[in-house]
Amino acid sequence: MTLLAQGPLMMIGRRNTSAWRGWKGVPQAGAWPGKSNGDRVTPTWSRGRARRRGPRRVPGSVHPGGRPGHRGAGCGPEPLPPPARAPWLRPGLLPVAAPPSLRPHLHHPPNQLPGGNSSSSGMHPSSMMSYQQQQQMLCRGSGPMGQMASPSIWENSMGFGPVSRSPGLIPHMEDSPLMSIIKEVGLPKQPHPLRGEDPRDLSERVLPPRSTSPVIGSPPVRAVPIGTPPKQPMSLNHQIHHPTAVHVRAPLQHRYPPPFPDRLSPNTLLNLANNPMCRGPFPPGVGPVLSQLQRAQMLNSQVAGFPRGVGPPPMLPGGGGFRPFFGGPPPPPHHRMPPPPLHGPPIYHTTHLHPQHRRMLTQRMQSRPMGVGLDRRSRDPYSNLMTQREKEWVAKIQMMQLQSTDPYLDDYYYQNYYEKLEKRQERERDSSKKEHTTRLITPQVAKVEHTYRPVQFAGSLGKLTVSSVNNPRKMIDAVVTSRSDDEEKREKQVWNKRRQILYTVEKMYSSLLEVQDFEKRFVHAAEEERGALLERHKTHTETLCTLLTHTEQAGRVSDEQCVTIMSVRKGKRLISRLLPFLPAQQAAAVVMAIARNLPALAKKDKQDQVLCWLVEPVAVVIQSLSSAALTDLLQEIQGREGNLASVLQNKLGVTLLYLVLSEGDRMQSSDPNCQLMDDNRWTELVFSVARELLAAPSSTLAPPLFTPPNLLGLFARYVDRQSLEQLQEKLQISTLTS
Amino acid sequence: MNYVPGTASLIDDIDKKHLVLLRDGRTLIGFLRSIDQFANLVFHQTVERIHVGKKFGDIPRGIFIVRGENVVLLGEMDMDKPCDAVLQQVSIEEILEEQRLQQQAKQETEKVKMQVLKERGLSIPKADNLDEY
Repeated sequence: MTLLAQGPLMMIGRRNTSAWRGWKGVPQAGAWPGKSNGDRVTPTWSRGRARRRGPRRVPGSVHPGGRPGHRGAGCGPEPLPPPARAPWLRPGLLPVAAPPSLRPHLHHPPNQLPGGNSSSSGMHPSSMMSYQQQQQMLCRGSGPMGQMASPSIWENSMGFGPVSRSPGLIPHMEDSPLMSIIKEVGLPKQPHPLRGEDPRDLSERVLPPRSTSPVIGSPPVRAVPIGTPPKQPMSLNHQIHHPTAVHVRAPLQHRYPPPFPDRLSPNTLLNLANNPMCRGPFPPGVGPVLSQLQRAQMLNSQVAGFPRGVGPPPMLPGGGGFRPFFGGPPPPPHHRMPPPPLHGPPIYHTTHLHPQHRRMLTQRMQSRPMGVGLDRRSRDPYSNLMTQREKEWVAKIQMMQLQSTDPYLDDYYYQNYYEKLEKRQERERDSSKKEHTTRLITPQVAKVEHTYRPVQFAGSLGKLTVSSVNNPRKMIDAVVTSRSDDEEKREKQVWNKRRQILYTVEKMYSSLLEVQDFEKRFVHAAEEERGALLERHKTHTETLCTLLTHTEQAGRVSDEQCVTIMSVRKGKRLISRLLPFLPAQQAAAVVMAIARNLPALAKKDKQDQVLCWLVEPVAVVIQSLSSAALTDLLQEIQGREGNLASVLQNKLGVTLLYLVLSEGDRMQSSDPNCQLMDDNRWTELVFSVARELLAAPSSTLAPPLFTPPNLLGLFARYVDRQSLEQLQEKLQISTLTS
Repeated sequence: MNYVPGTASLIDDIDKKHLVLLRDGRTLIGFLRSIDQFANLVFHQTVERIHVGKKFGDIPRGIFIVRGENVVLLGEMDMDKPCDAVLQQVSIEEILEEQRLQQQAKQETEKVKMQVLKERGLSIPKADNLDEY
């Protein structure tokens, strides 16, 4: 896993061949000119190939004379073995058109290297051809396509260029390190432009229209797949001035926006917005997405005022692509640009932030001292390897990921957080400052339906059988048989009880989440939808109830289900969240069940210690209970003989007990007609509780989560002073609160 | 923050010295040179630091490319703070030796523990208590 690349700093692996591979202009098969004898001894390619290897293998300074005749293996300082050197390490920058002055160099002995290693040929210089030229070539018709998968895919390229060469691409060859190298080593062999076999070559090297035509079956061919980073536009004057290129990158001529913009890549966005060179017609299909981002971009560039597209790209591989291969430390980066000026205040130009968030950010930015590390960075010779453009490109991708069609789904926590913040602030400010809350604007992406319909020819029988990415052919007729829940249950009954419980909990959770979101959706829904929404809400609540009281035997309501759910940590959480949404009766039943089974629950909870989650919702329920129910509850808590002791040992139990007692007391004191005292049950129960409390040693008494203040008053009515004092100790209530 | 305000992005961390913890437990320290949308990282002048107790040892590794999914955490290193305050740097051989010893000791305690538990008929439940379904 370790990469011992001690050579020049190369971005290995980043610029991968996918861009190169998918490129339209590249003939994908090593189409040999139709030599009948199959003799491959000296076709143009091999010579070109060999030639191409020559300069690459010669580290200019190290090898004597830099003869291209250096054969094969070991170039000393080069860290990587030759075959492994991937295609993209080629300095693909040499122009297609070799200027006449260099011609003599080109005709060095053809077979420099043995014919093997065809795999390590790389990008060909004809990458400099323009889009139009490539298109032309493509339209030349198809030839026999052989060797689609062979490595010779990469080889042919030398023959590609010369037909239509744009003079502007010829580099300005003067005194530059590059030139010296070229003179030493010689350019890769360029096939003679007047070669007669060229038309044939090209046609045979062209991709078959079947595989590239966007019409017939395959997806639109892009030269650059969506994920690739931006290439620097060819700024010719600067090729030579930056021979120190540490990036080895094959430059791609700038493309016009592809005719089928269903998927926009960050490249497209960048190019369209930034690059003055590329002013192709805007495809009409580019909808809201682009316009919004572009607007932000335009705004950015206008307001912030810094130069977009950073002038001459500093890291152009240019002609300096040779250098990195020759080992040794890279020359001092005097060509590197100083760190580009910071974007003005970029915050104001993004629309995806909540206004509150934006305010916080500006405050933070102002207070933070900037530019602390700037001088340190300027001293670092390796800084800014990642160009401004690339940083922007990554940032664009990240921004694109922020776009969503349903912010409440994608960005739930962010939205909720800011909503809560707003509400809190509203409550605090209490309408003294009428700061109207602005709506959060998230960039919305228009949901575009991408339906693909395979092409059909009128008047033909049947359909085309081309199967492609968009139109895959059905190979297997797979029938999905889904078993119903009951069957599943029967089968897995004994298998894993815990899993089963968890499964039930999950199902209940999904209903619960729907119920919880109901309110929010209700507010946002249109009038017509509200009725339907209400219905859904009711069904969900019902599902919850039924799931909760589900038993094997119908008709007998038991708290079995409840208890089993609560044996799992997640289940306890579920119940605590669920309780507020249940109808009163059911909620009471649940609370009863809890009380009844408290000892068992406490035991099971030993590992989790999360029973306390239940306190709050249970408290709410208790406060709504009737007196009879309350008495019942107290009785349940007491349970059978001796159970109260164990209840008292548990935090939840103690809290529950206190809650019940305090509620009873409150009921008694507030409502004179209360039926609590009608039968003696309440009084008896309180007596017994008091007795237990007195009897239980203080050490075993669990501290409650909170102690209602009126307990002492309650007890004062039932017990004598001495016991009261004891109780007071036990309850740890100060006299002030009573 | 600079480029995409309001979000967390690695862009501002470029060219700074970072410490990254990988999923296999390795700790790498290096200058973060390049990132991409998957948080694949390119480190320069990377050093793999092995910690055993209070000692640590650095193994220089050169250039690293880390696939984004293997990163556990990543943080900028403060160049001003001295790192020798609590920790003591030792040679590579020594730290590797220490590491080997540590692994050995751990294995042995684990074995003993399992043995003891087995004798008592107990077992440590593995993932059973997790709530993952």
